[in-house]
Amino acid sequence: MTLTADERWDLIEKISNKVVTFSKFKHTLKDALGELTVKPLTGIPIAIAVLYGFWSVFSSFAGTLCTDGFFVKLFDGHFLPWIQSVFPGKGGWFYYIFVGDPAADNCFEAFGVLTSGLFVAIGVVLPAIFIFYLMMALLEDVGYMPRLAVLIDTIFHKIGLHGYAIVPSILALGCNVPAVTATRILETKKQRFIMMTLLAIFIPCGAQLGIMQEVIPESIGIVLLYLIFGYFLFGFILNKITPGKSPEILIDVPPYQKPLWNNISRKLRMRLGGFFKIAVPFVLFGCAIVNILYLSGTIDWLARVLTPLLTGWFGVPGETVGPLIAAFLRKDLAVAQLSAIEMSKYQMITSVVLVSIYFPCVATFVMLLKEGWKNLLGSLAVLVTVIFLYGGLINVIWKLLGVQ
Amino acid sequence: MNEKIGRIYFGVLGIITLIFGITDLIVTIGGNDFSWGILEISSDMFRGGWGGLIVISAGLFYLSSLKNFLEIHQFSKALMASILIWILAGTDIFVRITESIPGGEDGPWFNSLEGFLSTYAPPYPPVIFLLPFSLVILFSLSKRKKA
Repeated sequence: MTLTADERWDLIEKISNKVVTFSKFKHTLKDALGELTVKPLTGIPIAIAVLYGFWSVFSSFAGTLCTDGFFVKLFDGHFLPWIQSVFPGKGGWFYYIFVGDPAADNCFEAFGVLTSGLFVAIGVVLPAIFIFYLMMALLEDVGYMPRLAVLIDTIFHKIGLHGYAIVPSILALGCNVPAVTATRILETKKQRFIMMTLLAIFIPCGAQLGIMQEVIPESIGIVLLYLIFGYFLFGFILNKITPGKSPEILIDVPPYQKPLWNNISRKLRMRLGGFFKIAVPFVLFGCAIVNILYLSGTIDWLARVLTPLLTGWFGVPGETVGPLIAAFLRKDLAVAQLSAIEMSKYQMITSVVLVSIYFPCVATFVMLLKEGWKNLLGSLAVLVTVIFLYGGLINVIWKLLGVQ
Repeated sequence: MNEKIGRIYFGVLGIITLIFGITDLIVTIGGNDFSWGILEISSDMFRGGWGGLIVISAGLFYLSSLKNFLEIHQFSKALMASILIWILAGTDIFVRITESIPGGEDGPWFNSLEGFLSTYAPPYPPVIFLLPFSLVILFSLSKRKKA
C-alpha cells in the first residue's frame, strides 16, 4: 500500500495527537538564566566572569597553594639536597642524567630526571592538571559548556569551525592529547584539520600554563594574547585556503542542573589517569634525552649552527635551541629550561611563544598521526610556516616598539 | 519582597556596584593601588581591569532588572548580577585561603595561627563589601518560590 504525501501527514497528525501531550510552555528561572548566558550582550560579560573565576582558582590553587606553598619547599629544601648527597657517582654522566647539576640549589635549575623531571611532573603539573580538569568537569556538569558553544558560534564560523570547537579548544588548555580526540565532534575533514592544527600550535597545555605561571607570571598575559591573536589570524587564513565544507550545526542545550559528584569524580579519575600514563613518562624521558644531547655536545653544536637564525630572525639567544629541542618531548619542560637562560623580558616572551607554537609535544604528535598521516603532514607544513612568520613578526613588533 | 522594595534596593545596589566597577577601572588605568580605610582597590590588570569590567557588568545587570522587577526574565538579570559578584568575591576569598595555609618560603610547613588569621584581616576589595548585600537576592528568591 502506498500513501500520498497528504495521507502521510494526516497519519502523522493522528499518531502525534495520540502520543504527544500539549500544554502551555512556562518559562522557569533556569530557562531565563540560560537565555542570559547565550545572548551576546549579557552572555559575553558572564563568560568573562566564568573565565576570570576559572583562571583565578587555577592560579591560586596550583601556584600559590600547591607549588609555591608546599612542593617548592619539599623538592628544593628536602628532596634535592638529599638526592644530591646519596646518589652515587657524583661528576659522572649517569649522575648528570638523573640528578643534573650537582651545584644547583633548586629543582628548576638542576635538570635531572629525578630532580627537575619529578618536580615538574608532580610539583607543578599535577596540581595544575587536577584543578583544571576539576573545574572543567564542573562547568560541563552544570551545563555551561553548551551555552558557551552557542555564544561563541559566530566567532568560530569566521575560522571555518562552529561553537562546539570550544570543547577541544578548552580541553587542549588541559592537555592536547584528549583534545585531538575531541576534534571528532566536528563534522568535516576540513574542520578537523583546522582544529587539530590550531590546537597543536596555539593552545598551551595545562602543564605549560602551570610552568608559565611559575616562571613568567608577569608576562603570561602578553604570551596568551599573542597566542589567541595567532589562533584567530591563522584560523582565518586556514579557512580561506583549506578546501572543504564548514556546515552549520544544531546544538541541544540541556537545562542548568546541579553537578553530580559521581560524574565529576569519574571524569577527573579518567583524565588524571591519562596524565599519569602519557605525560609523566614523557617528562622523565624528555629530561633524560635532553641531558644525553647536552652530554654528547649535540645541543652546543645545534646552538652554534642555529644561532644566526635564532638571534637574527627571532631575536632570542642561541642557547634557546636546547629548550626548543626539549619542547618536542615536553613543552612544560622547555619553558622550565628557558627560565635558566639569561635574557630580557621581551626575549623571554618571544621564546615562550616560540616554544608554544613550535612542534607539538611527542604525545600530541602520536595522536595526530593516529588521526591520519595526511593531516599530520598538513599540520606540520602549516606549523613550520607559522613559526617563521609569527616568530619573526613578534621580533619585528618588539623592534618597532624599541624594547628588544 | 514586593516589587517596589525590590526596585529601590537593587536600584541602589546597582548604582553602588557600578561606581565600584568604574573606580576599579580608573585605579587600574592610573596604575597605583588605592586605599581608604578598610577598602583597597588593586591596580593589577587582572583583578582591577578584568575584575572591574565584571563589576560594571553586574551593576548594569542590576539596573536593567528594575523595570517590572518581579517578571521572571527581569528577576533573572538581578540574580545573574549577584552571581557575578559571588564569582569575584568567591575567588578573592579563595585566594586568601590559599595564601593563609602554607607557612611561607623560610617558615614551617603550615602557617601559625596569627599568620593564618592575619591573612583575613582588612583591607578588602570592593566586591567583598558588595557580597553581603548581593545575598539579599536569595531572600527574594525564596519568597518567589513560596509565592
